[in-house]
Amino acid sequence: MAPPEDRRRVTSRLTVLQYVVTVLFSILAVGFWVLQVVQHAKFEEMAENNNQRTLALRAPRGIVFDRDGHVLVENRNSYSISIVRERTKDINRTIRLMARVLGVEEARVREIVDRHRHEPPYRPITVVQDATLAQVAAVSARRLDTELPEVLVEPVPTRRYPETMAAHLFGYVGEVSDKDVAGDDDLHSGDIVGQSGIEKVYNALLRGEDGAKRVVVNSVGREIRTLEEDPPTEGKRLQLTIDYDVQKAIEDGFRVAGFNGAAVVLDPTNGDVLGFTSRPAYDPNAFAAGIDRATWASLNTDDLRPLQDRAIQGRYSPGSTFKMAVALAGLEEGIITPDFHAFCQGHANFYGHEFACWNKKGHGSIDLRHAIEQSCDVYFYTVANMVGVDKINKWATMLGLGVKSGIDLPNELQGLVPSTEWKREKMHEKWYAGETISVGIGQGAVSVTPVSMAVYMATLANGGTRITPHLLKAVDEGSGWKPVPPPAPQSKIDIDPDKLQAIRDGLWMVVNRDDPGATGKNARLPGYDVSGKTGSAQVISNAGRIAAGRTTKDLRDNGWFVFFAPRDKPEIAGVVFLEHGIHGSNAASVARHILDTFFAKKEKRPLPVVPPDFHLNYTDPYAHKGAAVAAERN
Amino acid sequence: MFERRLYYHIDWALLAAILGLCAIGVAMIYSTTFDPTRGMSRLYITQLYAIVLGLGAMVFMLTLDYRTFTDKSHLIYIAMLAVLLYVIFFGTVQMGARRWIPLKVFNLQPSEFAKIGVALVLAKFFGENRGAPSWSDLAIGGALTALPLALIAKEPDLGTAVTLLPVFFAVAYLAGMRMRIFGFMILCLLLAAPIAWRFALKDYQKSRISTFLDPSQDAKGAGYQQIQARITVGSGGLSGKGFKQGTQGQLRFLPVAHNDFIFSVLAEEQGFAGVLAALGLYLFVILRALEAARLAKDRLGSYLVLGVLASFTFQVIYNITMSAGLAPVKGLTLPLMSYGGSSLIATLAGFGLVLNVRMRRFTN
Repeated sequence: MAPPEDRRRVTSRLTVLQYVVTVLFSILAVGFWVLQVVQHAKFEEMAENNNQRTLALRAPRGIVFDRDGHVLVENRNSYSISIVRERTKDINRTIRLMARVLGVEEARVREIVDRHRHEPPYRPITVVQDATLAQVAAVSARRLDTELPEVLVEPVPTRRYPETMAAHLFGYVGEVSDKDVAGDDDLHSGDIVGQSGIEKVYNALLRGEDGAKRVVVNSVGREIRTLEEDPPTEGKRLQLTIDYDVQKAIEDGFRVAGFNGAAVVLDPTNGDVLGFTSRPAYDPNAFAAGIDRATWASLNTDDLRPLQDRAIQGRYSPGSTFKMAVALAGLEEGIITPDFHAFCQGHANFYGHEFACWNKKGHGSIDLRHAIEQSCDVYFYTVANMVGVDKINKWATMLGLGVKSGIDLPNELQGLVPSTEWKREKMHEKWYAGETISVGIGQGAVSVTPVSMAVYMATLANGGTRITPHLLKAVDEGSGWKPVPPPAPQSKIDIDPDKLQAIRDGLWMVVNRDDPGATGKNARLPGYDVSGKTGSAQVISNAGRIAAGRTTKDLRDNGWFVFFAPRDKPEIAGVVFLEHGIHGSNAASVARHILDTFFAKKEKRPLPVVPPDFHLNYTDPYAHKGAAVAAERN
Repeated sequence: MFERRLYYHIDWALLAAILGLCAIGVAMIYSTTFDPTRGMSRLYITQLYAIVLGLGAMVFMLTLDYRTFTDKSHLIYIAMLAVLLYVIFFGTVQMGARRWIPLKVFNLQPSEFAKIGVALVLAKFFGENRGAPSWSDLAIGGALTALPLALIAKEPDLGTAVTLLPVFFAVAYLAGMRMRIFGFMILCLLLAAPIAWRFALKDYQKSRISTFLDPSQDAKGAGYQQIQARITVGSGGLSGKGFKQGTQGQLRFLPVAHNDFIFSVLAEEQGFAGVLAALGLYLFVILRALEAARLAKDRLGSYLVLGVLASFTFQVIYNITMSAGLAPVKGLTLPLMSYGGSSLIATLAGFGLVLNVRMRRFTN
């Protein structure tokens, strides 16, 4: 046995150890109590932030149909690849690795990340939109290896325009601007919204409501299970007034003719837009998943300005197509009758200036109907001179020229029909009577947009109602199609039927007579009484053209054809405008294909095949002539 | 040899508490390694085998009189040094350290058994002396501890190496080391700390300590485990998230949850209530073993019990503190609960000696 003092020492020292251990354990217990009970709420939240993520579920935009249910705009699934900075240990490493894995430039990735630097770190920054399958596979493999846990691959519904048509009509979508985000609580950075066309005008309808999904993820960001899901609501489906077949005929027509320009085709009874184009166009698909810079830059710097919607923003001299407005002003003001004759000897003198007719041989004694048919300039100089510019302005406006049409597309521009008041206000100058003479044949300050020309023809076709062209026919709010009533007409006049008939007769003769001066033969459709008027307008004065000499710039005349059909009970009205199309008769060839398609469809005949060639007249009467040429033809 | 009456002197309460802790450990290993997406994990089965082996080792340590072991302690000690040397040259490398001897069924980690060897040799050494140990006694005892410590630290396994220090201090303390010498040694250690910091510690060890002082300075790196440990424990609350319901451990936010951080998982899934129960069991085991030291027939027995208990207690307190994110992260397991065969077998064998001393308190 151990000596007693040893025993006592051992016992007492063991007692000390007992106390020490008990105290240490008590401290531990208190420590756990502080963490688990006192600070529980804080740590619980941190644990949740650790393992729960809210992912946005993008809502697809509404599908757009034509008037017969043909799909015009739909959605497809694309994948976007994003970085979640919150999960990254070293953003530079992530950027380097991503750039290498995705095969994109490192500087570009860095720039995107920098641009979104100020956003909260949990918000994904999209680095690649519409990733290729190879990119998705490459990233996914590395995510599973936990090499890139901070990278998110998510399916995003993306706009798809199945056919390249009516680009300016559909418009395009793109990431919402910071300015718009600031002004609207519903919008978030990165949202896709309509930027032009109906995508913009009807964005509120087309845009769905994004959903959200709350998921549990593990430490490498892999989704383990879904806690709750709020599914996205698809945008509303829209039905347009557009007729796919008519639209296709327009696009085919321009393609075959090989000219840029614009066309608008309406139902003159209610303003339904059946077809609408502006060329050159762009591919709206290029915008759907974020347009790359090079494409954007080239669209913006292209001399042909493909982003401009010529149908509503292009302002051109109408030339001879303006003559019906002058005629109507003379008739309705009681200054002339349809039987009013003028004598054309190839030119006429007004206020000491010589004004030429396009036909230097002269038309002789000519009445209104024949003056329209043969586009006699002297006749309309004479009428314009008698009516005066203000009355011409009044009636042109009634017909829809020089004002906005009110079509449901953004950024429509307004043409111009001059008046004494306009000149006083804008130029602070008096109107000279001599200026009215040029206005009589649609020259001078007169400018029109193609869409306003379509309204003009629709008004002549329906007897005086200036309908509002519109694109939206019906909306599906989720419970079937609800028709959208056509908007109210802009104005309404009652044109004396006899006087109107004289103009219509003249327009009918343009297309259906074989007289040498009748320029609209190309649009003739036997049995459908197509009525129309060609026009060509210089883009530069004769003197200017000579001065320009040899230039790469296209200085050929613009060609117009405005029309409605059938003459006595019109069902379709519109305009074909060929930029540098040289002759109005070329535009008439395109219009014929459109009208042929329209009537074939209406009568359920097989649609006409697209001709390989319209046999257009490409001879430029001014190309080699040089000096003084008549200012006007047609 | 194993007299029938000895059977009645086995401390069944201590044994029950030990087995209770083992059971909690198996349950937590099952919970954290359960992953329905990857099929059943077999780790908890392995742990059960280790417990059976450990109980076998415990019975072996019980059957012979503890004095038989202490008498042979010099041989055991030399054999132990040989094995540790063998490991340094021929052990298998895992996670950058050479700590294991590969056997057919599992890898043996000799450093776990070194604790028992050191406890035996120190008990024998100090038990033979009477009165307070002299300077030279302390120097020899210190050298006996330092030798295996250095070998283990060389593997490197600084965590396990450090657990040998409490063995020496506890036995020396009980042997009557004067308090001022004790204080002097503590002072020496404190003074050595900056020197060790400068020369002995590796960079990863330094960063562990510096991030402990401010975990947020490296929230994704070395400080990550510590922050996650606190989140794990704190989010458990009063009653816990429930068995297999812990998100931190299950979703691998906390690394090596079934091993070093098993107590964090317990705290997450069973809450403060579970923590108190486990702490209570550990405290009971320690106090009960201290009781065995007091009841021991001779100083040798007391020293042996305390030697075994010292590393155990140190490891329990350190690991639990670390599992709450309140101490620097060190690769130190929680005895009886953490996954790991060598640790479990060595710990149970050690408690075999504790039971042995208590059981034979009346024999001669």
